[in-house]
Amino acid sequence: MTIQVYWQIDAAADPGRSEPGARQNPPTRFRDVRTNAANRYDYYAQIAQAAAQTAFDGVFLRYRAESDDSRTVAAVIARETPRLTLVSEFPAWVGSAVYAAKQAVSFQRLTHERLGWAIAASVDAPSRARDGDHVPEDQLAARTEEFLHVARGVHGTRPFSHAGAHFQVQGGGFEAPLNRVAFPLVFLQGESEEALALSGRSADVHLFAAAPVATLRGLVETLDSLALREGRSVAFGVIQPVLAREFSDEAWQDAQRARLPASAIVGNYADVAERLAALAALGVTHFVLTAPSSLEEAYAIGQHVLPRFRALTESIRAAA
Amino acid sequence: MSIDFYWRLPTHGCHGSLRHSAYDRGDWSPLDPHNIAPGLDRHGADDGYRYVDHLAEIAKAAESVGFIGGLLPSFPGTDDPWVISSLLARETRSFRFMIAFQPGFLNPVHAARMAASLQRATGGRTVFNIITGGGGPSQLWWGDSFSHDDRYGRTTEFLDVFKGVWQGEGFAYDGRFYQVVDGGLSPLLAAEELPEIWFSGSSDAALQSAAKHADYYLSWLEPFDQLTDKFARVKERTAALGGQQKCAVRVDLVARATEEEAWRDVRIGFENLSEERRGQARGGATDSVGAARQQALRPSEAKRYDDLIVAPNLWGGFSLLRGGPALGIVGSYEQCAARLDELIARGADAFILAGTPHLEEAYRVGEEVLPLLGRSADVLLQAAE
Repeated sequence: MTIQVYWQIDAAADPGRSEPGARQNPPTRFRDVRTNAANRYDYYAQIAQAAAQTAFDGVFLRYRAESDDSRTVAAVIARETPRLTLVSEFPAWVGSAVYAAKQAVSFQRLTHERLGWAIAASVDAPSRARDGDHVPEDQLAARTEEFLHVARGVHGTRPFSHAGAHFQVQGGGFEAPLNRVAFPLVFLQGESEEALALSGRSADVHLFAAAPVATLRGLVETLDSLALREGRSVAFGVIQPVLAREFSDEAWQDAQRARLPASAIVGNYADVAERLAALAALGVTHFVLTAPSSLEEAYAIGQHVLPRFRALTESIRAAA
Repeated sequence: MSIDFYWRLPTHGCHGSLRHSAYDRGDWSPLDPHNIAPGLDRHGADDGYRYVDHLAEIAKAAESVGFIGGLLPSFPGTDDPWVISSLLARETRSFRFMIAFQPGFLNPVHAARMAASLQRATGGRTVFNIITGGGGPSQLWWGDSFSHDDRYGRTTEFLDVFKGVWQGEGFAYDGRFYQVVDGGLSPLLAAEELPEIWFSGSSDAALQSAAKHADYYLSWLEPFDQLTDKFARVKERTAALGGQQKCAVRVDLVARATEEEAWRDVRIGFENLSEERRGQARGGATDSVGAARQQALRPSEAKRYDDLIVAPNLWGGFSLLRGGPALGIVGSYEQCAARLDELIARGADAFILAGTPHLEEAYRVGEEVLPLLGRSADVLLQAAE
């Protein structure tokens, strides 16, 4: 499978950018002619445009409870970025699995099948209680599995009925033309045994958190055998923070200024490309790349790292 | 007093003409040479347009001609109103998206978050048409197994929570259907205006829920005296319950330069009906009170189009020509304006209008009918003679 590279849009990052309510008040000495017609979505659209123009395959929209809803953002910017895949992350407690599937199918129909679904990793009970979700901790994985089973079921089967612990449907299933599009690719996450087992049964792509190559190799092998046991295959992905500059010392200097996790890949363009290619050599085919300053870094990565990375992975594929 | 006029965005394809029942706009019909969005290119292949491209045309037409926004219906066979509204948010400026929505679709906290996000994207152009659900098999299709009265109880709680979290952090709720502990939208999201809530449903359970939460009570068009009584009863009943309800009516129009031309289109549409289409119009099982009121008309049994004229300019066969309510207004521009004025006099505070095809008729109704409103009915009807 060809490698897919997504750029992350984090609605909660750089919260002051293009946010009318966050403008300096009173203004400094420049004459400010901006109106409130400009809003935060201009910025999301701009990041997506940056990703499109620098040849990313898609964007990955993080679920952020305190900021704009990821599926809404994806739809709002979709028509301005006609080539990008839009992977939206959301939790499995958003509501009805049938309605989630209905929305996904409309999105697919109206955007030439560019949607991806990433189910957010589970959070603690008090956080879910704030959102009105009270499913016990030990049933969360089962609920996610049932959510996906029902959503895929009403999309692919008619009539579809299901009587489960969390969802019930009778005589369901979409009719033509709604059932003519593909169901979105489903991305799941997590490193626990339970998360890997769930992905073995239900994920199209499993996204690992960034980690040393040796750790990822172990996880990839475990998931591969779990999926094989189910008679399935799951694609591997990684959510990888990156920071690249022309020279390594510049990259490390900027890395001190930015809030980067220890797992970030930092270096000059060629070094970062090589480190990513090493992940590709493990079998990782979906790369969600992230950086604290999403717009500017999209250009640094897209213009300078991606061409090198793609050249390296081509040679890996050719050798294989 | 100014009146809000909405148009309708057909979410299940559109007919190119009232005279023919084919949905030749959108992909609900086979891809053939006269179909659009998608259509065929010069090599006979899918031209790449999607139905949303046509919906964008309708929304922009309605916006430019002065409609405040549009209703986006939601049924098993339609595309989804949330998705369409979000897709079109940045291509429209003043157009309000009235999203038809059932409380069973979403967790209310998440629904509030999505609504606030759409408010931020559109500058406050989100409106909700809360549908509690027609019940029966169609509810089970959606994965919703609540009984009729339970569903209104849940709608009330849904809106309690939806509005409650909008007050900001520290919200708690302990209901039969929903429980929230220490919830609330973030200050960023809570700063948005709550969407206006439009409500439907004729039963007592519905009116109780409406009194608590609705801004507008929406009815299909009914014979005028019946509708007058209904509006009066809704306003009285909801006032007694402490609500303040405005009333709105959903009306299809066939407006033409002359009354004769309007009826001619209706007659040809009626005569072109297939037996299959009549069968569909007989409808399925539902426990909706509103739907039952409309079915008392039995348009599918009519032999001639004029059997269905129930009052001057009022025709009861619209459900044969397209999905939805049976009654609508047929007449000259002046007559249509006079009937709308009459409805305003009888208690209508807002309208959702529609005509087929929705794009061309948005311009026609906006340009020819709406400017005539507010002139006295007598003058208009004399002008129509």
